[in-house]
Amino acid sequence: MLSKNDEKVLEAISEGDSDPQSIADKLGMKVEAVRASADALGEQDLIKVTKSVAEIVSLTEEGTKYAKEGLPERNLLQSLGSGKPISELKDPALKIGLGWLRKKNWATIQGGVIKPLDSATMGLDEVMLQDLLAGAKNIADLHKKSLADLKSRALVASSKSKEWRYVITGSGRSLAESNKKYSESSTAFGYSNISYLEKVTSEVIKNGIWDGKYVTIDGNRYEFRPYDVTLAADRIIPGKKHPYQRLIDFMREIMLEMGFVEIKGQIVQSSFWNFDALFQPQDHPAREMQDTFYLDSLADIPDYSRVKEMHECGGAGSAGWGGCWKPEVARQEVLRTHTTGVTIKYLAEHPEPPVKAFGIDRVYRREAIDATHTPEFEQLEGIVMDRDVTFSHLLGILKEFYAKMGFEEVRFRPGYFPYTEPSVEPEVFIEGLGWVELGGAGVFRKEVTAPFGIEHPVLAWGLGVSRVAMLKLGLKDLRLLYQSDIEWLRETPVSIKL
Amino acid sequence: MPVVRLYYEDMERLIGASRDTIMGRLAMMGADIGKRAEEEHVDVEFFPDRPDLYSAEGVARAMQGFLGLKTGLVEYPVEEGPIVLQVEESVKSVRPIIGCAVVRGLSFTSEAIESLMGLQEDLHWGLGRNRRKVAIGVHDLSRVTPPFRYFGEDPARKFVPLDFTEEMSMQEILQKHPKGKGYGHILQGCERYPLIVDCKDQVLSFPPIINGELTSVTEETEDLFIDVTGTDGMVHKALNIVVTSLAERGGRIESVVVKRSEGDFVSPNLQPSSWTVRAAEANKLIGFDLKPPELAECLRRMRFGAVANGSEVRVQVPAYRADIMHSWDIFEDAAKAYGFDRLDACLPGTVTVGRAHPSELRKAEIREVMAGLGYLETMPFTLTNEKMHFQWMRRSPKGAGVVAVLHPISELHTILRTSLLSSLLEIFAMNQHHPLPQRIFAAGDVVVEKKTRMHLAAASIHSGANFSEVRSAVDAVLRELAIEAEIVPSQDGALLPGRGGDLLVGGQKIGCFGELHPLVLGSFGLEQPAVGLEIEWGEL
Repeated sequence: MLSKNDEKVLEAISEGDSDPQSIADKLGMKVEAVRASADALGEQDLIKVTKSVAEIVSLTEEGTKYAKEGLPERNLLQSLGSGKPISELKDPALKIGLGWLRKKNWATIQGGVIKPLDSATMGLDEVMLQDLLAGAKNIADLHKKSLADLKSRALVASSKSKEWRYVITGSGRSLAESNKKYSESSTAFGYSNISYLEKVTSEVIKNGIWDGKYVTIDGNRYEFRPYDVTLAADRIIPGKKHPYQRLIDFMREIMLEMGFVEIKGQIVQSSFWNFDALFQPQDHPAREMQDTFYLDSLADIPDYSRVKEMHECGGAGSAGWGGCWKPEVARQEVLRTHTTGVTIKYLAEHPEPPVKAFGIDRVYRREAIDATHTPEFEQLEGIVMDRDVTFSHLLGILKEFYAKMGFEEVRFRPGYFPYTEPSVEPEVFIEGLGWVELGGAGVFRKEVTAPFGIEHPVLAWGLGVSRVAMLKLGLKDLRLLYQSDIEWLRETPVSIKL
Repeated sequence: MPVVRLYYEDMERLIGASRDTIMGRLAMMGADIGKRAEEEHVDVEFFPDRPDLYSAEGVARAMQGFLGLKTGLVEYPVEEGPIVLQVEESVKSVRPIIGCAVVRGLSFTSEAIESLMGLQEDLHWGLGRNRRKVAIGVHDLSRVTPPFRYFGEDPARKFVPLDFTEEMSMQEILQKHPKGKGYGHILQGCERYPLIVDCKDQVLSFPPIINGELTSVTEETEDLFIDVTGTDGMVHKALNIVVTSLAERGGRIESVVVKRSEGDFVSPNLQPSSWTVRAAEANKLIGFDLKPPELAECLRRMRFGAVANGSEVRVQVPAYRADIMHSWDIFEDAAKAYGFDRLDACLPGTVTVGRAHPSELRKAEIREVMAGLGYLETMPFTLTNEKMHFQWMRRSPKGAGVVAVLHPISELHTILRTSLLSSLLEIFAMNQHHPLPQRIFAAGDVVVEKKTRMHLAAASIHSGANFSEVRSAVDAVLRELAIEAEIVPSQDGALLPGRGGDLLVGGQKIGCFGELHPLVLGSFGLEQPAVGLEIEWGEL
């Protein structure tokens, strides 16, 4: 896509002009604009650009003065008349001329009187001064002896400068010719005044009269400059939601569509809600310091008598764990290790059926960080509590949930979780990976629900959302979710298939 | 979870089924096979609730039922034996519970010994809470002379511990022996240590630490004496699991009389426990529709004794099962035998209306505004450290309500963030090799005084980042989110003096914005100017 300027520059070069200044003069453009166009033409191999370093000569301040007013020797000569005694020369500028007057053999001094000789013709040095007054010149184009004289008189100075030379290439020539032909043919069709428009202006919109691709404004016929629309443009990046958030919202939408109420809870939880309320025995390995982030503080906990009794003596058909349940252990605060503590608290506050609730939130495990482990990650959890819901219904919900997630093939393997019975580990089939375990599920144990007066079965399932992100976003390193590479955020499309 | 190595040839012989049949059904019995199948064997993980599956014999016993080859309760005869173990008062404050048994007529190969040691270790983990609640000792009975004594001994008492040749005192064992160092903490603060000796005062075992070298089991060993000590009833479960597993290998179980001041008992007790369950309850939980005889048949396949009786099923739970504490535990086994794949996986009729949490709706608004302003969303960790969060930000942790974790796993993650801006600067620091400008935001949780609060932070870095850019952004955010805030000059050390503002609502500070202080940028290793804003918009 050539701009109007590029085209003109190309034409000039095809006609033999080779340096930016002469092209600029010819086209009435700024030399910088010519150079920019030529660079663009060069990049498209329409012309060949050669850069060289040249020595440029220009006038000094004094040189400029003499170029305008004449050299001191010339002025002195003119003031001599037929002769003049040296003693009469008062003007110091004229005195400077005296030496050069004799050197150039324009006059003689006899008995203190200066006498002009025959006609003093215009010297090459004077011509050069006049030339340089018009603009700097390349040293190669100047008379060497005169230049040396002017330099010795500090009237000129030289400096190095870059110089450009342009030569048309084969493809440049044929393009220039076809451009020319095009404009001639336009002329042939009687549109001698046709030219390109660059921009749609309000003038064009209001007053343009259209005929196909031509538009006539105020009697002039135009065409919009056609662009090469296949060329790539500058990259712009819109502000966007995080790809992982997109996945989380996708999963939230599924839960909302399935009629679940979204719940939230505190990051800092008591061991009571995080463990004890879920019938996790106080000496359970999962509660040890090496797996859980503990805080150096104790929480207020609700009336725990029924939970304590369930742990120690059982109830609701259960034998319990035995041993001694200690409230001070339950009061220890932790960063929640799962969202299930939030769920059981919500159920304790809403024991009447039906309840369908879900949450997707960050949970914390004391794990060393690497590509597949981060100390915090998102977990999805859903529960259904109602009269007459069964383990089979749980499998039905899981099938529906995974199908909506895009995992059409699901199978169920017996599993084990401390607070559910029966427990199941759903596996989904993924092309290239086979059966992949994805989450866990079960019916809350009676030992969990009974102390909170929850009388009906609670179907529950959960899964690690970052695991899903690995599958759906093609991630190899989970850290990328949290310590994001900005290029990854930029390049991941909004329409990524989830 | 315990990993049990199963040799195919061994399993085929023990179960009486082909390798393919076994492998095809193993996962559905409740095992995690993963991808660890080898030429000769497979390593299988079993769940912590089923310690009776921690040996090849235990798996075979369950598999025979699951495949329908042998169903119902396994009866293990226990011969009445003459051996006596006396429990003395001195041990009761240290490690009061003991169970023991004799198993005779065994022939050990080195693999069988390894398998027995493996079962012991898995039980120490699964039931024993790393030996605190349960510790098992297995001895070559021929090397010692009953009766035995279990008592609290002076820690200065010396004997030769397993795998050593020199005598050591019990105190030394805790300090020098690898097992002593590993488990000595269990005896911390005890004045006397538990010890089992024979009638000649030869040491069998120093529970829960180490056996004596004297009774170590070799390929010549035929008769075993087994002691299990601990703190509660799991001791007997563990003993039952070990002796029944040895019986599956052809051993004959013989009882031991345990004498105690509170009453003698005969050990082991392999009597099953009796339960009565209702088929209707099983159906209500699982969602199948089994008649009592069908339920009983399912349970027999899980090696329970089970007889239908009207609407009920009388169940005998084997003495080696450690996980049955509620009728639902029995029903789950019935569902496994029935097959999860045969259950009618249908949706329940529960009708409810979905509802998003208000904070998520608000976050969606924030994301819409910030994306519209050209910012990319990030989701940094909520865990951070004091150095980056306060020191680098030129802010004081005092009065910030910061929550620190007790045992951080890395010095990078020691506290929960109280604000978001430093996390964004950290992301800039990680992305310096990518083109500028970079504009990012986060809408996430912070924790102040243990309460979750919700913040928005945004930051922009490029050579032209300046106050007017961030002021425009703040104005847009406040306007779009309908927050009416007063802007006053900020004293925040993170901001360049005179180029930062605080946002006040009702006189309370809800946020700040401005040009980040060059010292802050320098701490994060950033070399271009950056501006940022942070607004608290809610709490849970």
